[in-house]
Parts: sequence; structure tokens; C-alpha cells
Amino acid sequence: MTTAVPMLEISNLHARLADGREILRGIDLAVNSGEVHAIMGPNGSGKSTLAAVLAGRDGYEVTEGTVSYLGRDLLSMAADERAREGLFLAFQYPVEIPGVNNMYFLRAALNAQRRHRGEPELDAGQFLRAVRAKLKFLDIGEDLLHRAINVGFSGGEKKRNEIFQMAMLEPRLAILDETDSGLDIDALKVVARGVNQQRAPDRAIVIITHYQRLLGYVEPDRVHVLQGGRIVESGDKNLALELERRGYGAFGDAA
Amino acid sequence: MSAVVDFPVKPEARPYLDAFGRDFSRHAREPLWLSGQRRRSLARFAELGFPSRRSEAWRYLDLRALEASPMLPAGGVRAVADAATRAQLVEVGFSEAAYSLVLVDGRYAPELSTIEGLPSGVWLGAMTSAIADRPDLVRSAIEAPLLDSARPFAALNAAFFADGFVLDIAPGVALDRPVEIVHLASGDAGGSLHTRSLVAIGAGSRASIFETFAGRGSYWRNDVIELRLAEGAEFARVALVEEAADALHFGEMLSVLGSASRLASFVLLLGGRTVRHEAMVRSEGEATHCALHGAFLLSGRQQANIVTTVDHSAPGGETREVFKGVAAGRAHGAFQGRITVRPGAQKVDAHQLSRNLVLGPRAAIDTKPELEIYADDVKCSHGAAVGDLDEAALFYLRARGIPNVEARRMLIEAFVREAVELVDSAPLREHLLSRLARRLAILEE
Repeated sequence: MTTAVPMLEISNLHARLADGREILRGIDLAVNSGEVHAIMGPNGSGKSTLAAVLAGRDGYEVTEGTVSYLGRDLLSMAADERAREGLFLAFQYPVEIPGVNNMYFLRAALNAQRRHRGEPELDAGQFLRAVRAKLKFLDIGEDLLHRAINVGFSGGEKKRNEIFQMAMLEPRLAILDETDSGLDIDALKVVARGVNQQRAPDRAIVIITHYQRLLGYVEPDRVHVLQGGRIVESGDKNLALELERRGYGAFGDAA
Repeated sequence: MSAVVDFPVKPEARPYLDAFGRDFSRHAREPLWLSGQRRRSLARFAELGFPSRRSEAWRYLDLRALEASPMLPAGGVRAVADAATRAQLVEVGFSEAAYSLVLVDGRYAPELSTIEGLPSGVWLGAMTSAIADRPDLVRSAIEAPLLDSARPFAALNAAFFADGFVLDIAPGVALDRPVEIVHLASGDAGGSLHTRSLVAIGAGSRASIFETFAGRGSYWRNDVIELRLAEGAEFARVALVEEAADALHFGEMLSVLGSASRLASFVLLLGGRTVRHEAMVRSEGEATHCALHGAFLLSGRQQANIVTTVDHSAPGGETREVFKGVAAGRAHGAFQGRITVRPGAQKVDAHQLSRNLVLGPRAAIDTKPELEIYADDVKCSHGAAVGDLDEAALFYLRARGIPNVEARRMLIEAFVREAVELVDSAPLREHLLSRLARRLAILEE
């Protein structure tokens, strides 16, 4: 049994948009390896901004606070370096990229990470074998691999493709930004199965969501309520059920 | 010997006139009809001079350097290809070609060419051979070029061309094996290389060619090709321009389309300091199909210009154009596309698309679509866009660990690939994509 190590430590994180609007107003959060955390909040509470800031997206300015990832200063790293260091963001709105083949893209991503870790790159055959095993598990057709990234994918296919990428890249820290939104119950179960399969002692998963729905299938260790750019309440899995019952209005100052 | 000049001469044309008089002996053994045509063309060039920037079709190209220091036609007798030229041919050659005709410094190089075993009804060879042996194939085309209005460099070409190629296909013949034409510049000749080629596809016949332009050193290539498609003929031309970093390349493709004929043209401009490709299509027969596609990738101080004019004078024609432009560094690209539909050319269906990527604050691309419609029952549209890489797509790739430079390259490749996919032949597409990848690797350095 490995002992838990601090994976992510966010302290007093403030961030604003390019237009000056402050969205994150002092976030404190600690996630250890082996844990699954859920961050729940209403629209506009700062959930997606938090995911974007952690993944290193342009267009946000961190004005205060620190984020430590495996003991390193996350905010000083470029977006692609964060990914190579094992951070994964499942997009709320996966981007369609015409002309770039899904398979080619995923192999480039995997090999970029392997190079970074000093491991040999996978050739097309090795890669294909690795892919097939995961595809089956996530109920994804192989034809999806030969299409351009997310182009012409249904909403559910896009989300499953995100989970598939996570399964292939085997990150240390996965942040799932509203992966459950827009999914029917079958797709939700497939996604949940993918997430549960990724639970591991040396990995942490942060699920950002509006609803309790996904948490019925993926049991979180900790649940946090995000309101007005701050975490206003933390608890165990029962907090999610309480939120569902009482609504976000019952928590925090709703400022 | 010195030529007696009794016509007006623009000052920038003077050095070329002098060179023509000085070196006229090189054309001494040519038939009179040809030398007469050369003189008439020279007079036309002297009268026109270089196109000014007020000339619409040349407004985006800076010709001042060429005007300041003339690049006179390369002379002399061609030597047998050396090792460096052979290596160059290996580098750019298309391995799937069934027939290969190679020109070095604008002249046919038989020792590098493979044109044996052509099916009957197909004539492929050097323009000089056609002039000597088969004047019936070329004389009327040379004496009455498809467009002879105010085209100074076509006139200069007609005065000076050293060689070129001729592909002539009798009616009812399908040449399905790919024909490759390679234009190399050895770097020894310098000056200007004028090549003139002719393709005539007989009624109901079919053929395709792949032309590569490459070289070393500093030179100015001025290439003119005419395509004549008879009724129901099908012809595809792919041109890959990978000229030397210090070279100028002007290419003009003139075509006339007979009824129900199909023309597919694709150009990929990758190399050369100043590159211009102009395609002019006269759709004279009914129900023609004309596809003009292409792309350019520029960096450093490269400039490139794609100019297309399609003229529909008969009903039922179809035109499709997709052009992609990419400019990085301080490069400047331009696309000018005109589609004219004349009165009575009803039911013409024409669509033109010009999409462009400008990478960085010092690069620029101009795009200028023009539709001139004089018939009332037509379907014509155009679209033009100039932008940067899609930030959301770039972030998505980077968020998976792909380094920024590689992510940008993937997106640029995808952008250009959309145009390359319009090339019919799969092996040729692969060849173009591999040349593209090689160019992309150094695009944003």
C-alpha cells in the first residue's frame, strides 16, 4: 500500500479575466494521490475558470496565490509542459479540429509524454495494440480513431473521446470539467466506468460538475462547494446529496 | 550582328533586346515561322515593358529587384547533367511516375528522361523536337497563342524560350499512367530560363501530368504552358514549385476547354524567393468542368502570388476553386481570383474559396476574389478569409502535452492538407504531403 502524497495544493488563488473581472477569489484546496474530489457549484461560480487556470489556458491572469503540483510550481509551467508532467484536463467542450486525424494526434500526444519521461516512443503497431484494449472498454468504435479530432462526433462521443484520451495518457492528476453535462444515462455510465477504472493509488481525479448525477456512479472521497469564486463548504460524499436536496442557495453567502 | 529596332522600347526591356540581337545565332537553324514569331514577340515585350504595380494582375508582386538588375536568358549549349543535378533529381523525383521528362536549365535532358514505350496516339517529347519533327503539333499554337494581349512575360517567353515539352494525345486515347515533368536548375546557368510547353488532349481522351520545379542558385524561371482540351477530354495537372531560396518563378498556365471537357489543376508553392502562378481558363464549350486548387507556404521574405481567371462563355460550365495560403516571418502572399460569366452562359455553377493563415505580425496575405456575372441564371459564390491559427484548437493539442511548435505545425499541415486532398491520385497526394511536411519543419524557424 502506497502512502498518499500531496498531489495538488491550491492556496488563496485569485484569478481574473482579461477584461479585469475577478472570477476566482481565494481558492484553497488540497488533493492527495489516490483521492477523487468533486467540486460542485452553480453556473458562474468559477468552476470552469478554475479548470482553465490549472490547465494553463491563455486569457486568465492569476493575481494572487499559489498552486503546487507534486511539489512544483504549476503556474510557472506552460500548458503543454503541465500535460507532459501528468496533468490532464477533460474539456467541457472538446474542440473540433478538421484535418488532424484522431489517431495521429493521440500518438503524437503519447509520444510527447514518453519522450519527456525519457521512454522510447511507440511505433504505429504498438500504439494500435494499446488503443484497441481501451477502446473496447469504453465502447468506442475504431472508426472514430480514423476521423478528424471530434469532427462530426455526437456530444456523447466527444465526452467518451475525452475519457479515452485520459485512459491512454494515464495522467497523475485528471481534472474533468463538466464531463457529465449533456450525456444520456448510457453514456454517463460508460464515462463513469472509465473514470472508476482510472482510480489508482498514485493518481488523483478532480470532477467538476453542476449536478450530483455522475457522483451516483463515481463515489468521491471529498466534495467541495464553489460559490462566488471561493470554496464555501467541504465534506464527504453526503455533501453532494445534501446539495441536491437543498440547492446551492443554502451554502455560502452567494456573493 | 545588331537588330534594327523600329518600334518603341521601354527602358527596362532594352537589355533583353540587346541580348536577343547579340545571341540571335542560337536560333539560326530554326524554321522561319518560328524566328518570325520570336521577333514579333520581342517587339511586343519591348513595347509593354515590365508590368507596373498599377497593373491589376501584378499589383501584389514587387519586381523592383528584377527591374534594377536584368536577368538575361541563359545561353550556350547544355552540358550533360552532373552528379549534383542527378542528386537533385533523386531528391525531388516522384517514384510512381511511369514516364519522366526532365529539363535542366530549361532544356531537355534525354540522359535523365524516360519516355519510351508510350501507347500509340500519344506524343511526348521536347518542344525543340516537336518543332523539328512534328511542326504540325506546335506551329499553330506558337503562332497564335491562347492569350496574346498585354502579357509582357509571356511575350518575353515567346521571344526567348529554349525548350519545353509537348504532350499530344489523339482522340479516344486514355493515358492513365502518370507522366512526370521535372524542371531543374543546375545553378550554373544563372540568368533567366524560359520554357514553353504545350498539352493537347484529343476528343474523349484522358491524361495527367505532374510537374516539379526545383533548382539551385539564383535564376529566374519564366514558364508558359498551354492546355487545349477537345470535346470530352480530361486532363489533370499538378505543379509543385520548390525553387531555390534565391530564385524567381513565374508560371503561366493558359487553357481552353471544349464541350464537356474536364480540367483539374493543383499548384503547391513551397520554394522560391518570388513566386507567381497564374492560371487562365477559357471555358468555350458547354458543360465544362474546371477545378483550380492550390496552396502556398511562405516564410522569411518570400513573396508569392496566385492569380486565376476563369472565363465562361458557354452555358452549363462548372468551376471549383479552393486556395489555401500560409505566410510566416515577413512573407507576403496574395490570391487574386476572377470568374467571368458572359451573357448567354446560363446555368454556370462557380464557387471560389480563398482561406489564409497569417502567422505573426510581420507576415501578410491579400486576397481579392472577383465575380463578373453577365448572365442571369447562374449560381456563383465566393468566400475569402484571412486569420491566425485557431487558439482553441492549439490549446487543445497543447493540453495533451504536444509542444507548442509541433501543435502549430499539426494545425498548419491540417489547413493545407484540406487542399491537397483535392488531388485525385493517392500516390501523388502522399508525395505532396511528404514535400509539405519537409517544408513545414522549417516554416516557423
